[in-house]
Amino acid sequence: MDLKDISTSVPRKDHKGKVSGQLAYISDVKVENMVYGVLYRSPIAYGKIISIQLPNLPEGYEAVGAEDIPGPNYVKIIKEDQPIFANDWVNYIGEPILMLVGGDLNILYSLLDEVKIELEEHQAIYTLDKAIKQKSVPGVNMASYEFGESLEIISAIELKAHQIIEEEYDTGYQEHVYLEPQGMLAIYKEDEIVVQGSMQCLYYIKNALLSALACGDDDVRVVQSPTGGGFGGKEDYPSMMACHVAVAAKAVKKSVMLVFDRSEDMVVTTKRHPAKLKYRTAIDKDGNILSMCVEIFLDGGANVGLSSVVLQRALINSAGVYKIPHFHSKGYVLKTNTVPNGAFRGFGAPQSFAGIESHIGHLSKLANIDPIEYKRKYLVKQGDPTITKGNFRDPILMEEMIEDLLNASDYKKKKVEFQTFNQQNQRYKKGIGTSLFLHGCGFTGSGERDHIKATVKLVKSKDGKVILKISNSDMGQGIYTTLSKIVAKELDILYEKVLYPDPDTKEVPDSGPTVASRTTMIVGKLLQRAAKKLKDQWQSGVEQEVVEHYVHREMIPWDEKTFTGDAYPAYSWGVNIVEVEVDTLTGNLKLEKVYANYEVGKVIDDRVMKGQIDGGLAQGLAYGYLEKMTSREGKIQQKSISDYGPPTSLDVVTIQSKVFDNPYADGPYGAKGAGELTLIGGAPAVQAAIEDALQTSFQQIPITPEVIIESLWMREGEEG
Amino acid sequence: MIKFTLNGRKVETDAPATARLLDLIREEHLLIGTKEGCGEGECGACSVFVNNLLQNSCLIPIGSIEGADIVTIEGIMETEQFKILDESYSIAGGVQCGYCIPGMVMASAALLTKNPNPSEAEIREGISGNLCRCTGYNMIVDAISKAAKKGDGLWQRK
Amino acid sequence: MAEKIIAYRFDRLDQTLSQLNNENCVIIAGGTDVMVLHKSRRGVPPKIPKPIVFIDHLSELKRVYQNDKDLHIGACCTYSELLEDPFIPSPLKDAIKTIAAPAIRNRGTLGGNICNASPAGDTLPLLYIYNAKLLLRSVKGDRIVAISDFIQGPRRVQRDHNEILAEIILPSILEGGSHVVFEKVGNRNADAIAKVGFAGYIRLNGARIDDVRFAFGAVGPTMVRSMDIEKKLLGKTVPLAAADIAQIVAAFDKIIKPIDDQRSTALYRKTVALNLLRYFLSMKQYQPN
Repeated sequence: MDLKDISTSVPRKDHKGKVSGQLAYISDVKVENMVYGVLYRSPIAYGKIISIQLPNLPEGYEAVGAEDIPGPNYVKIIKEDQPIFANDWVNYIGEPILMLVGGDLNILYSLLDEVKIELEEHQAIYTLDKAIKQKSVPGVNMASYEFGESLEIISAIELKAHQIIEEEYDTGYQEHVYLEPQGMLAIYKEDEIVVQGSMQCLYYIKNALLSALACGDDDVRVVQSPTGGGFGGKEDYPSMMACHVAVAAKAVKKSVMLVFDRSEDMVVTTKRHPAKLKYRTAIDKDGNILSMCVEIFLDGGANVGLSSVVLQRALINSAGVYKIPHFHSKGYVLKTNTVPNGAFRGFGAPQSFAGIESHIGHLSKLANIDPIEYKRKYLVKQGDPTITKGNFRDPILMEEMIEDLLNASDYKKKKVEFQTFNQQNQRYKKGIGTSLFLHGCGFTGSGERDHIKATVKLVKSKDGKVILKISNSDMGQGIYTTLSKIVAKELDILYEKVLYPDPDTKEVPDSGPTVASRTTMIVGKLLQRAAKKLKDQWQSGVEQEVVEHYVHREMIPWDEKTFTGDAYPAYSWGVNIVEVEVDTLTGNLKLEKVYANYEVGKVIDDRVMKGQIDGGLAQGLAYGYLEKMTSREGKIQQKSISDYGPPTSLDVVTIQSKVFDNPYADGPYGAKGAGELTLIGGAPAVQAAIEDALQTSFQQIPITPEVIIESLWMREGEEG
Repeated sequence: MIKFTLNGRKVETDAPATARLLDLIREEHLLIGTKEGCGEGECGACSVFVNNLLQNSCLIPIGSIEGADIVTIEGIMETEQFKILDESYSIAGGVQCGYCIPGMVMASAALLTKNPNPSEAEIREGISGNLCRCTGYNMIVDAISKAAKKGDGLWQRK
Repeated sequence: MAEKIIAYRFDRLDQTLSQLNNENCVIIAGGTDVMVLHKSRRGVPPKIPKPIVFIDHLSELKRVYQNDKDLHIGACCTYSELLEDPFIPSPLKDAIKTIAAPAIRNRGTLGGNICNASPAGDTLPLLYIYNAKLLLRSVKGDRIVAISDFIQGPRRVQRDHNEILAEIILPSILEGGSHVVFEKVGNRNADAIAKVGFAGYIRLNGARIDDVRFAFGAVGPTMVRSMDIEKKLLGKTVPLAAADIAQIVAAFDKIIKPIDDQRSTALYRKTVALNLLRYFLSMKQYQPN
């Protein structure tokens, strides 16, 4: 492939099947001897199961539960605390207890209504606030880390400080609302179970199945179906569904399909962790920061799942893009009897950035300096240490990116114009806000080296086609296209000659999960190396195979216990500017303009990158003001898409974006991660813009119309 | 027995009058281009044409489509209009995970048939019932705008 | 084991009415509410407890016509059809445009919006201030009832099982001369269910108020409207004095009693409802629209 610049867009590999609707997602699949599964779920938040009484099951209908699991009864992720089928204690409303399988969904739903369960209910913890109060009770604290400047030194600084500023900041749930609800099928065969479905991480699922089925490596196989959006929602959760269908298939000796309803999906699957972030900052009389302590509490829900890793990323990002003197950070994942929270694009970072950007913005007001200027004073530079005593060793283009975006948005002029507008307009108020952010690419710490150990394989056929054998999922983000392109360019063959079939663990080595903005940078680089190797030994007319293994670039070694070292090999960067108009009668917000600059090393495909920018930013902005999910006594309140309210085409505006080149030595053609970065700046920028419009401060996201109206109402009360 | 036309073919069914058109299309006729995203008319993934009007097939009891002309994405796949949309979606980068796309394409075709030269605001309005979680819509809006230009004169022919 | 479903679809309205006279049925027009209300789970038809009568194809229920200064709207006109009808007043079109999205508007009907009697029904605040009357037809003949009497509570209407809502009558609407405002407050710009709805109507004689009406949606079990409060403004001149505005707002403050739910809070609903009212009352001038 002769592209002068790798960034020049090529047609998507999966375009045809998708635009015509003829690509079969899991719910479009039918296999012989297939039955459906439906789950009976816990009706209470916390308690002990005393007895379960099943209705008389008609012929062809069976119940599958914990006793049918050949292996241990937990979904293998990190800790062994998530039962496949709860059979003793239940820990949240909606926790799966058993599965009914049979041919007719109508009958299955009626049977489900007839299952009787006797439970001994115990006092549940429903809210993060309650969990914080009880964090010393055994079992509540599921993970915690602490690092940074010693507290003695900070106390001494605080004693001499002009002022101590304390803020408490809350972030809400975010629900993925991937358009395709979760679905998984176990195909029963005499000698193997094939689990196929919507997923991001084939080998997470395979490992969970090897444990649950207590079987040999050849007895299970995991195949990815076209996946209708993931955003992290199909990172950890599908492992549980895979266990359900595989255990059931094994038990009833039939193929079992489990597809969720939208409302079921909204209520029982993982979400972004609600968080509470506390800031305690010492400032001098000019408003300069002397020291800062951050405390982060994540609502883990009922199981720890991936929460400890989410907390790590939240903590590593707790100082944002700033070099803060004498910084100390501490965080907890706390258990509540609510639906378990898990991975969501950004993975802990969106909470931290919303919090720190808010706090720094508020400090700038105290210092009477424009927020963007105040932020620039503390911006990290190349060579600066990270808060975990790692190093920002690559060039940082943030100053250039900020300057460019201030010009593009006409920031200074807008500030003045909006002030005038707001003085003249009673009902509508305009504001402009900024956010600065980064995203650490790839797994935290030494995860790639110690846990993932990625391997990729390229197979060349006799007729000169090259097939990517990797376990990474295209869930819409476009890796079929970008990774194929990297290989085509490196081999200098036609892009069409590079094939990337849906991954199947029988065919592909473990190149790691499709998470953490690692795929392009880590897997892409491995593929590039493999392609180079293949090119060197290329022989026409014969089949060839090359394999590449991950090589760790040793920097400052990561130590999870002391929380020190280089947390990530590289960082991607971003600046957002958002203009809003607030209706002070209704609190409704109109996004007026959105500007975004990013630096992701080198873009592999301009069009794919723009897709990530627009889609990620739309989610990030909505996280800040639009999408609202709440839980009451353990029950998710918003069970439909419209009640939850992800943006429609009428809620998003054109996004003016630019991507800066800054090639990274260890990424393919210089590429770093991009998928999560694009979401992170949305919420803090929207908050800053609302604050600018209303000349007030908020301590939470989402800043819904309800929050705005309440704040205006309180202010009116104060002003008499 | 309910009779109607599906993609130009006369069909009939014994399914109950309350059966959802969506299920009939997918389960009886095995047409997989019409997707289920919410089952409540809130996402548009199941969009079809009923007598040339865009509708959500998850909300249509088949008892109400007696004699109606139903067209799914499979029914427009061979048309010139579809080819233009296909190309425009590709060039504009409107497709990511793809699950909303058949419905989005149906909404695009419905819009352009009614209004061959829509403004950006009209395009946003036209697809406002079709949820997309991947793209943030802008590249889809661009695709429709490109299709309008490229298909100039073609949309009214219907 | 498919349970037997009885459903009727007659070619003519009179046949439909005689069936309704024989049997208590669920009426489906567009079905956009009924199908969600009785929704079962994925892959299964909704569970509708009674026999079904489909009516959305009946041409007798799809006419829009003028009768003197009154406007008659067939109950089975879809929202999209009304948007294209030259008789429909523009504030009503504006309200219809806020309903869901095009595909739903191609199916949902005005009659359905009324009979569904949702506290958040999008067209209801306007229909209340238009003093809409409903023509109910049965084999026994016609009956006309005010919309505010017809709607009795959430999903509760005063329809006898042998009746069909045939027409919505907007009395004297074609006279013009009134200034009408409609505001729907939802959580997003499409496919949203109202958190607050407000409709205001004012007719002036010079600067004097001849007629004034307000209705609020989604802040109570049905639309909130009060003739007693409206009367207090008759004969006053615009712009209204601050004390008059405060008096009206205070009066509504007493009778608007919203709830907290998954979409919003009582405090928000009430504050916003009163904000919109105050804004309407504080306008310096009112142009007929």
